[in-house]
Amino acid sequence: MRQFKVALPNSIEQASALQKSVDVPFIAGGTDLLARIKEYIDTPDLVVDLKRIEGLGEITSTGQGIRIGALVTMDDVATNRLVAEGFPALVETIGNAATPQIRNMATIGGNICQKPRCWYLRHEGYSCAKNGGSGCWAREGENEFHAIFGNQVCAVTHPSNMAPVLVAYGASIEIQSSESKSSDGTLEKRQVEAEQFFLTPEQDPTREVALKPGEIVTAVLLPAKNRTDQWSYAEAREKQSFDWAQASVTVLYQRGGRSGDHRVILGAVSPAPLRRADLEEIIGSRALDADCIQALQEKIGEGAHPLSQNGYKVPMLRGLMAKAIRNLNGEKKEG
Amino acid sequence: MDKRAEESPEGVSRRHFLKGAGAAAAVVTVAKIPSVVDAGHEVSDDPVILGPGSIPITLKVNGVSREIEAPPSTTLLDMLREYHRLTGTKRVCDRGSCGACTVLLDGRIVDSCSMLAIDAVGREITTVEGIGTPQNLTDLQQAFVEKDALQCGFCTPGMVVSCTALLNQNPTPDRDQIRQGIAGNICRCGTYQNIIEAVEHASRKGGK
Ligand SMILES: Cc1cc2nc3c(=O)[nH]c(=O)nc-3n(C[C@H](O)[C@H](O)[C@H](O)COP(=O)(O)OP(=O)(O)OC[C@H]3O[C@@H](n4cnc5c(N)ncnc54)[C@H](O)[C@@H]3O)c2cc1C
Ligand code: SF4
Ligand code: FES
Ligand code: FES
Repeated sequence: MRQFKVALPNSIEQASALQKSVDVPFIAGGTDLLARIKEYIDTPDLVVDLKRIEGLGEITSTGQGIRIGALVTMDDVATNRLVAEGFPALVETIGNAATPQIRNMATIGGNICQKPRCWYLRHEGYSCAKNGGSGCWAREGENEFHAIFGNQVCAVTHPSNMAPVLVAYGASIEIQSSESKSSDGTLEKRQVEAEQFFLTPEQDPTREVALKPGEIVTAVLLPAKNRTDQWSYAEAREKQSFDWAQASVTVLYQRGGRSGDHRVILGAVSPAPLRRADLEEIIGSRALDADCIQALQEKIGEGAHPLSQNGYKVPMLRGLMAKAIRNLNGEKKEG
Repeated sequence: MDKRAEESPEGVSRRHFLKGAGAAAAVVTVAKIPSVVDAGHEVSDDPVILGPGSIPITLKVNGVSREIEAPPSTTLLDMLREYHRLTGTKRVCDRGSCGACTVLLDGRIVDSCSMLAIDAVGREITTVEGIGTPQNLTDLQQAFVEKDALQCGFCTPGMVVSCTALLNQNPTPDRDQIRQGIAGNICRCGTYQNIIEAVEHASRKGGK
């Protein structure tokens, strides 16, 4: 691997000040960044290691919900009692992701900031809309695992398993930067709702998340008011391990016990997690029976523009949608 | 596992010779730089910036702490293989996609190819060399031999590390739990069934 300098800041302020541009990446678990450096997709001279910053590695109860520090590993999120009790869909989605080794290394901050898996993007020779060039190779090329929704500018899918589930729970991403200090000199905390944190290519094809240079994800906040016992998460992937999802459906029914508050979020079929208010309306307006499933299945492909090789994702979503609703009804929870 | 195959009659293996030659070269070229890796814990106004050249990195591997100079961009896998000369840990994909490089970090399995060595400072690293010896195999390693749980053997060190971690956490795993335990290790020869049997066998013996 290409050599680089490593900065070991011990505060968020130091780390933030070191990142003058995106060419100076942060490293947390390293499972995504090091692979990108080995492939010469990123060629940094300096990498800023977040691992020695105190206070980013805990899961705490805040009164309004729970706060997961950005450096908490996926496995530590999935095995935490507070998370399991309040936000079980997060545990479920993590259990499906990557491998046991990766889950022991990868952090929640790195998971939501990981770069997409498009094979053109991950090949040093290709220039496209996402890496500052123009056009999209995947749209006319090999696109089996690419997006079927919102894929006009760039057809990546969002690779994070956690992302759609965080959107469903109405999580907030806590962000800090050395640029924004309050009058007493401490860093201000900016909070962005997960739904706004993940960007579409129309918003900015070169960024997947709403971070400016110098901004660090310091925590993920999960609000207790959106807890629900009626949840389900269904996904499909080609291999059960070592792989990314091809499609996922997260359903939260009657969040916080509120009769009109539901979420249906599709994952891995669009560049950012896709909230489907039209499907939420269907589950909110009728009994969750076979007719409801049929109505959802008829609707779920609306707005999709499959490419030459990924049309299978539409029927796949129909199947996952049905599974998600059946699981909500208290039948056996299956992945 | 069996050292004989690669050792010459004089007791100098090809591998040891290559290792020795590499180390001699390194000593000449590497300048002595004060150890700053641990200083990262102290609060100061200026962040520590290491490299890109070699710096002393102290790692505790299989219970022994050693300071070795290497660039801060070195992965834990390269540090173990090239600098500590512990070649039991294998490099296959170098991308977190096979598990051949699995080691224990504070008792938990990680892909050593996908993290920096300096992020393992102050933690307990266990490689396959720290799990039994050819003369004194663990029950699990003995079970791998008895159940024929390897063909080419290249995945074996990573498999042994993952299965050891599994049995440490859960001495009586069922088949599903064993499959989960090795879900991050690929065997291109397809010996999974025998590996599962080996873990069950070791588990029945009550060993690790
Ligand atoms: C074989 C394999 C299979 C996988 N399968 C899945 C899967 O099914 N589902 C899934 O979700 N993921 C999957 N992954 C991806 C994996 O989950 C990510 O690589 C991991 O979550 C990234 O976390 P990290 O801490 O290692 O990030 P790093 O590699 O350290 O960082 C990733 C990116 O995020 C940035 N970053 C990290 N932390 C912060 C922060 N606090 N603030 C701002 N920016 C930050 C870094 O600069 C970098 O650009 C898989 C990976 C592999 C190798
Ligand atoms: S899908 Fe996005 S990243 Fe991939 S080639 Fe098209 S524009 Fe580039
Ligand atoms: S060599 Fe590390 S996972 Fe393959
Ligand atoms: S025995 Fe050959 S890869 Fe597993």
